[in-house]
Amino acid sequence: MIRRILCLLLLTIAPALAFCDAGTSALFKKGNEQYAKAQYKEAITSYQKLVDGGYQSVPVYFNLGNAYYKNGDIAPAILYYEKAHKLSPGDEDIKLNLQLANLKTTDKLDEAPEFFISKWWHSFILTFSLGTLAVLAVLSILAGSGVLILYRFTQSVSVKKASFYTAILLVFLGLVFIFIAGRQADYFESHQQAIVFSNSVIIKSAPVHTSKDLFVLHDGTKVEVLEHNNDWIKIRLANGNEGWIGAADVRDI
Amino acid sequence: MKRIYSIVLLLLLQSSLLFAADIRFTASVSKTEVSTTEQFEVTFAVNGNGDHFTPPSFTGFLVVAGPNVSTSMSVINGNSSSSMEFSYVLIAVKPGTYTIGAASIVANGKQLSTKPINIKVVKGQAAPQNNNAAASQQQQQQNGPDSRVTMRRPGADISKSLFIKADVDKKSVYLGEQITLTYKLYTRVAIVGSEPEKLPDLNGFYSQDIKNPDQNVHWRTEVFNGSKYNVANIKQTILFPERGGDITLDPISFFFVVRESAAASDDDLFGQFFGSYNDVKYRIKSTPVIIHVKPLPLAGKPDGFGGAVGHFAISTDLDKKELKSNEPLNYKIRISGKGNLKLIKPLSANFPADFEKYDPKTIDTITENVNGQSGSRTYTYLLIPRHQGNYTIDPVKFSYFDPSTGKYVSLPTKPFQVKVNKGLTENNVTAYSATDKQDVKLLNKDIRYIKPDDGSISKMGEGFYGSGLYYSLLGLGPLLFLGALAYGSWYERTNSDIVKVKSRKASKIAAKHLASAQAQLSAKNSNAFYENVFKGLYGYLSDKLNIDAANLNREKIASELKNRQLDEPLINELLDTLDLCDMARYAPVSGVSEQQIFDKAKNMINDIEDKI
Repeated sequence: MIRRILCLLLLTIAPALAFCDAGTSALFKKGNEQYAKAQYKEAITSYQKLVDGGYQSVPVYFNLGNAYYKNGDIAPAILYYEKAHKLSPGDEDIKLNLQLANLKTTDKLDEAPEFFISKWWHSFILTFSLGTLAVLAVLSILAGSGVLILYRFTQSVSVKKASFYTAILLVFLGLVFIFIAGRQADYFESHQQAIVFSNSVIIKSAPVHTSKDLFVLHDGTKVEVLEHNNDWIKIRLANGNEGWIGAADVRDI
Repeated sequence: MKRIYSIVLLLLLQSSLLFAADIRFTASVSKTEVSTTEQFEVTFAVNGNGDHFTPPSFTGFLVVAGPNVSTSMSVINGNSSSSMEFSYVLIAVKPGTYTIGAASIVANGKQLSTKPINIKVVKGQAAPQNNNAAASQQQQQQNGPDSRVTMRRPGADISKSLFIKADVDKKSVYLGEQITLTYKLYTRVAIVGSEPEKLPDLNGFYSQDIKNPDQNVHWRTEVFNGSKYNVANIKQTILFPERGGDITLDPISFFFVVRESAAASDDDLFGQFFGSYNDVKYRIKSTPVIIHVKPLPLAGKPDGFGGAVGHFAISTDLDKKELKSNEPLNYKIRISGKGNLKLIKPLSANFPADFEKYDPKTIDTITENVNGQSGSRTYTYLLIPRHQGNYTIDPVKFSYFDPSTGKYVSLPTKPFQVKVNKGLTENNVTAYSATDKQDVKLLNKDIRYIKPDDGSISKMGEGFYGSGLYYSLLGLGPLLFLGALAYGSWYERTNSDIVKVKSRKASKIAAKHLASAQAQLSAKNSNAFYENVFKGLYGYLSDKLNIDAANLNREKIASELKNRQLDEPLINELLDTLDLCDMARYAPVSGVSEQQIFDKAKNMINDIEDKI
């Protein structure tokens, strides 16, 4: 029975893990070689082809961000670092490079302090990537069910006891993983962010051109997207300021 | 300086005495360009008796002393005149350009006010531009102008006989190339006094005045436009253009007091004898000069070019080749030559990261003369190696632009090998710990390198989370468990009745026995064959009819089979076969072959299976 489950698991997960044909892999390797030779412009083209082709992965975004950074384009570098960060929130390399890139932006924003419990909670739900959480959840639930089945059919009392508690634990863990994955997906959905791409853009008080100028932002600044109104987006800065920006001036993470 | 100005002032006052009628109220300063924290004096003078003196506001300055009031009275040939002076000693506080506003006074019942004066305040060192040249005009005793050139009376156009010419040695230069600017005074009239009105700002240039150790003005004669002139250098400056394009050197302007023979004196014997004259004040401006500044060529610009333009040589020196750790080491870079030495950016010398490096001490031995700025600049770096080992001090990259050839020149220096021996440990700076531990120095901040592994490239929106596969796999576990539960309960229910189970399994057991019988048959082992067939049949019947082995006999089997409505011929045939097998186990039988027996047994079991 367990062997059969394993076979099933392998069959179902393997395609998800090994989804890359030779072309994308070669393109990625070419980008890496160009980067190593400090041909950052060419490396950008290679990686960008992958991204434009609808492919995504943490290394692709990360390397593309690096290439943009080395080429001196800070705004796209931050955009792709943020994308990589979204896919793998716990990755230290991404966090460090993002920090270094943010040092080079024009706007200095003091982040509004977050309540420490919510800060802990966010770092907790962002420890693992969504994909990892999903695989962990599936594995725990499947293993839990397997152990429960063992519990049902075993004759030995000690095995029955042990399997019962193990099963409860595994199923509980699985539920926790499902919950965290749900929270994380929800977090990214509600915290839709964007990067300012215009060199200098005026933030308005209302989604019309005639409204008052509130403040000026420069490229590379991360903003939170609150709502859309025609060609305007309501944004909030890290320091809590809100305003309206033209949709063409920002790019969604 | 003060002395000189009081002389100037006196001269002014004297001249005003000659025009005795009008009362003048003037303001003058000892310097128009001062450095911060330098004292200077502002004097407001009136040639008459005045009262209600209102000083201007000295914004941007600090009044150190004053007002110092001095009055003087003189009687000349029965004409009495008096004058008053109000002077303040001021200190500039911050750099910038400030205006000392107008002071006012009431004299002879008239309200008089002075002109505002602009003061340029520079930071730190006193501005080099002082009025030495102009002031030394006063002291022309030794090198006086050639009196033969001097006209007794200037023509109608003063500019023909008295003018200032701005002379530059080059008019088209590269950025940073030095130019020598000389303001020359050409005169054919007698000058008795001078006062600078406005010194040029020289915007767009870094300027360095050539200091003349000799305070005296050296007059010489020169022929210009066919006329002979007395010529003196007022001011010489070395200029370094700081931006490209056409830059205009703004004019210098001076007030000169020219002694003219009085017009009436020609037919006046008395006047001729005594030389009666008038002193006339003229304002003389030089003509602006345009300097064309070419930017440095981009082609061939070496890395680390620090803006040096001219002609240079570089030498480096290290005072020790071998030393103990924690001992000081001096590294000297000497740049010598001609050019903008003072504007050279500090060289970026690369020392081993483990050396403690202090900011370099800069020693300039630079002279400015008519040929430009030349000399040498020495940077002395104090280095302290903290750890033993062999180190290399990299060569310094120095390059300059040579305007005469229009090319960049890179000068090589040599690297130095330094051997650092282990020093005394008690001298170690990190004395608080017994071992020589230190934090790993962060040399530079850079982003982390790219990830070489392509990870799991997937199409956008094809993440595992939220996919159909994810949910079906999640559901699979509980479903499997439910299925297992159902299977378990069904299994238990069907296996709870032993009789039914036995009867269900009877044919299987029989088939096993028959299979082994067939094996014996092919092995021609008839005894074992019969026994297997017998056991198979008996076992089958015992299980099927639920008869325990003790009661298993022909009669019981016959009655049980009859009870189950099995037809008579089949029962009889079965019983015959059983008998035959029983017999054949002990004695050979004839008439039927073993194969026939086997087929019969098989058919019978099948028949019974069909019926019961």
